Amino acid sequence: MREPQENPIKEAWILCLVLGLIMINFPFIHIFNTVTPVFGIPGLVLYFFIGWPLSILVIWIFVHQMEKKPRNHSTPEDRKEL
Amino acid sequence: MTPEDSNLLSAMVSPKTVFLVSLSYFVLLFLVAYYADHRKRQGRSLLQKSHIYTLSIAVYCTSWTFYGSVGRAATSGLEFLPIYLGPTLIAFTWWFLLRKMVYVSKQQNITSIADFISSRYDRSALLGAIVTIFTVFGITPYIALQLKAIAHTLGLLSLPIGAAYPAIQDYAGNLPPGTDTAFFVTLLLALFGILFGARHLDTSERHEGLVVAVAFESLIKLVAFLAVGIFVTYGLFDGFGDIFQKFFETFPDRANLFNLGTEQTPYTKWFSLIVLSMMAVMFLPRQFHIMVTENSDPQHIKQAMWRFPAYMFLINLFVLPIALGGLIMNGGDTSQADYFVLTLPLASGHTGLALLVFVGGLSASAGMVMVSAVAIATMILNHLVMPIILKLNMHVQDMSGLLINLKRVNILGVIFLGYFYFRVIGDSYALVNIGLISFMAATQFAPAVIGGLYWKRANCKAAIAGISCGALIWFYTLLVPSFVRSGWLDSDILQNGLFGIGLLKPLELFGLRGFDIYTHCLFWSMLVNLGAFLTISFFARQKESETMQAHKFVDTTTEIQALPGRLKRISKAPTVVEFVELMSKFIGEKPAQAAISEFINQQEIDARGSLSDLEIPHLKSFTERTLAGHVGAAPARIILENYLSARGSEMEDVFDIFGTVTISHASSREQLSVLYDAAQIVSRGEDLQKTLDNILALLAQQFRFDLCVIRLLEPETETLLVKSLVGQSSDHFGESERNLNMETYIGQAFLSNQTIVINDTEYLDKPTSARIIKRENITCFAHTPVILDGQPIGVLSAFSRTVKGIFTKEFVALFENMARQVAIAWRNDQQLQEVLHVREQEREMQIAKEIQIGLLPATLPKSENFQVAGLCVPAHQVGGDYYDFIKRGRCIYDLVIADVSGHNIGSALIMAETRTFIHARLDGIKQPAAMLQALNDYFLKDLDRSELFVTMFYLQYHADRQTLTFSNAGHNSPLLWKQYQQKMTKLDAEGLIFGIKKDVSFEQKVTQLEPGDLLLLYTDGIVEAENSNHEFFGMERLEKLLRESEGQEPQEIIDRIMNQVRMFTGMRHFNDDITMLVMKVLS
Repeated sequence: MREPQENPIKEAWILCLVLGLIMINFPFIHIFNTVTPVFGIPGLVLYFFIGWPLSILVIWIFVHQMEKKPRNHSTPEDRKEL
Repeated sequence: MTPEDSNLLSAMVSPKTVFLVSLSYFVLLFLVAYYADHRKRQGRSLLQKSHIYTLSIAVYCTSWTFYGSVGRAATSGLEFLPIYLGPTLIAFTWWFLLRKMVYVSKQQNITSIADFISSRYDRSALLGAIVTIFTVFGITPYIALQLKAIAHTLGLLSLPIGAAYPAIQDYAGNLPPGTDTAFFVTLLLALFGILFGARHLDTSERHEGLVVAVAFESLIKLVAFLAVGIFVTYGLFDGFGDIFQKFFETFPDRANLFNLGTEQTPYTKWFSLIVLSMMAVMFLPRQFHIMVTENSDPQHIKQAMWRFPAYMFLINLFVLPIALGGLIMNGGDTSQADYFVLTLPLASGHTGLALLVFVGGLSASAGMVMVSAVAIATMILNHLVMPIILKLNMHVQDMSGLLINLKRVNILGVIFLGYFYFRVIGDSYALVNIGLISFMAATQFAPAVIGGLYWKRANCKAAIAGISCGALIWFYTLLVPSFVRSGWLDSDILQNGLFGIGLLKPLELFGLRGFDIYTHCLFWSMLVNLGAFLTISFFARQKESETMQAHKFVDTTTEIQALPGRLKRISKAPTVVEFVELMSKFIGEKPAQAAISEFINQQEIDARGSLSDLEIPHLKSFTERTLAGHVGAAPARIILENYLSARGSEMEDVFDIFGTVTISHASSREQLSVLYDAAQIVSRGEDLQKTLDNILALLAQQFRFDLCVIRLLEPETETLLVKSLVGQSSDHFGESERNLNMETYIGQAFLSNQTIVINDTEYLDKPTSARIIKRENITCFAHTPVILDGQPIGVLSAFSRTVKGIFTKEFVALFENMARQVAIAWRNDQQLQEVLHVREQEREMQIAKEIQIGLLPATLPKSENFQVAGLCVPAHQVGGDYYDFIKRGRCIYDLVIADVSGHNIGSALIMAETRTFIHARLDGIKQPAAMLQALNDYFLKDLDRSELFVTMFYLQYHADRQTLTFSNAGHNSPLLWKQYQQKMTKLDAEGLIFGIKKDVSFEQKVTQLEPGDLLLLYTDGIVEAENSNHEFFGMERLEKLLRESEGQEPQEIIDRIMNQVRMFTGMRHFNDDITMLVMKVLS
């Protein structure tokens, strides 16, 4: 059986995916689509190269949280595999 | 340093050096791969480390990334980014999507994306073939692009600086003429692929060497790219800000490179590229191969979720600086922008760095080529070659050698097909854009894969239609325009559409215009693909086998054992050895043996260590999965199906009573239905033999027993006799009786009153039974006692010669219930027999009664001297009372009244005997006393034996003299009413009842009668007639009645007495026989 903790995690991941899709697409990125550079660097470039590591950080935090209580997220197959 | 300065430096790298470096790098790769394999053999697999997994996924970054990103950035600005942002986004889903794909693939031994899709959709060979063909067309050219990159960079390295960049045909630079470096590289890569990707046939077994080598390559390409990035950013320029500033200063007109929503990069295109890359990173065959097939531990996905995006971030961090730096240093010339990564260090004289970059690029290409070649070769072997091989129906003992060689040939073939593409279409538009074209192809698999993982209704027809339609649109709206731009097709089709139909313009299909080629293709292909997939899934029905597969894919996180649906078993099932032989044929003997021992170890089989009938289907699935790991799911299915059908074996439904708890609802229904049938048979009330035969027939038919027997106890001989038998049996086995002892299982079942189940006859502990069972080839059997009122009356047995382990707990319950039905049938029959018996007895008693009545005087003599009447009313059909009135001489009459104790047939017989004796000896014995004496002697033996006794009063009336001579043998004293004296006297004489002792002397008395006297002879039935208060009718009442009967005729007196007795007892029936004889003396 799917463990109860599994679904909130899955929902959180999907939420991140949807948020991510919004944040790297029109119209959201249109905000940063300026001609004037910020600190000498074009707005969109700056946005992506700051946003990208931040999103990786978000994944890392999530994964780290899951690692903390691995039992809650491992299915029987996981344990078998391990 | 200015670009001009750098051009002055002679930075040529000698071809020898390039060759040596390349060769050394390949040797290093071989060593790394070899080391990984070595570690694995030692049991210290490098794949245990999750970062190896992450690095291997980075095979996503090919030379298209390594060199191409910079090129794209230089020409189109930010357009290079979506290819990496997409995978970062999709990584959010890996914890459930990728992990699920990995689980399913592990469970199903899936070897490739084609195998995955085919396996999900009823293991359809057609679907596998479609996906494979699509892949070969859409993705193999990508290999050409990698080969091109290697060849081109080799050429660049060996060119003197300042020389014009060569056309593609002259890429070889100053290498010796005729040197086809690409060919050598292709050969090396093929060799590597074969060595590390096709050592064994089992693709589901991981290729450690290949994966670790790919991971190593990923590391090299990252290091190389970072090195050159840092060199350009901080060596040639002064950081990011400096580059951007210089770029803006030099090319102010190109500032929109960093903007989106431009003509170059509209938002729609941006979005499309993100979607394409999201799908490509999941469903490109090489990605699937590395991420799913080669995954050693699903837990690694967790780390890969952030590490892989981080890898992509790092490798892209310096793309813009290098691109801009290249543009600045090359005066804005973008023609060679794809190779800025290499030319910038070269131009600045850093040959070492350039060599590192070359090696990085080589890594990016080689990794992709090797993995793709292995993945595609596997797909071709399993989905294109295997079906043909199976069609040919070759009778080869061991095909594994052939198959592995075919796979090697395929790898070689795939890589050289790439080489062929490279040679033929070289620098064409089609090849340059093959990256995104192949992404689009991989995207077509997305609905079938994702839908198949989360939507059970998704079915085979829908997947075939979806992928085919998607592929068609892909071809028409993406490939055809590429061909036109490459000059292979007339541009007329682009201008006017197919057959001149405007709506069919490949770039403006059905009038949809204003979009770039990728968005246009993505929209139409996904619309058609998803549309067909969803619609057909909704309306088409799945086959049962397809539903099972769907369940295995969708519900993978639940226990696989708890599958719903009907369980199957195999008729004429192959043995374990035969399964091993079958596997050996395709995968070789050793792997087959290893696989089967693994299976046996995993099975929680009974302590006896053999497989039950119900585990054979598991073994079949296991065999299929194992074969699938080598040849793919669809061929594996075909192999198994062909094999089983050739044997005449069939998968057949088994009653779900064998199932697990989860299907107990269904099971109880099945169980009830069988019991209901059995109860129906019993209730039909046919004769016992027929009923038992029918119950056994039902049992044998429903559960396919070879023999079913009912034995019932024969109480006299204490043996179990065969009552009914269905199935094949030899004389000695099923039909013979069984003694009741604990030496046989059947005896044990009966005596212990418990069911005995032997699920595997290999292991028996009763030598007597074991001998018989072995002779009869019985594989499993059960005995259950037939119990009536807690006592066993027989045994129900079932035997199977073909299957083992049929008697599960659930089945035994049903089996015992069947035995109960047998008991009910038996009891019904017993009761019926009893009723019949009683009826028969009644009929016999009726006859006896009639005979007995016939023995009494039918008419009593009439005389002017006396009147006489008699009555005998037996308490039951027959009785022991007897009276007689015999004319002895002219005026001599003998009156007899007798009472045999009891009122049964024995009494009646004695009574008949008495009468016969008297009538026979009448002439010889003249006196009452003598008659009694003779009777006593005669009866002594008979009565003693029968424990009966007889009382008798014997009188002789001389009518002429009116004297009454009488003797008594213990009988009730007759009453004599002397009318004249108005006095009641009792006639009595000494004498013992018959049968007590020999030589009894009977007193004989004589009395004189007078006219009007009444003589009443009676039996004790009258005086001992009892009323509800337990009072006897008694002598007093009788005497009174007789006294009051003066003047009445004998018959009237008898009737009156009878009436009075009846009234007294208040019953129609009496407890004892009643007999009276009344004589009235007349004149």
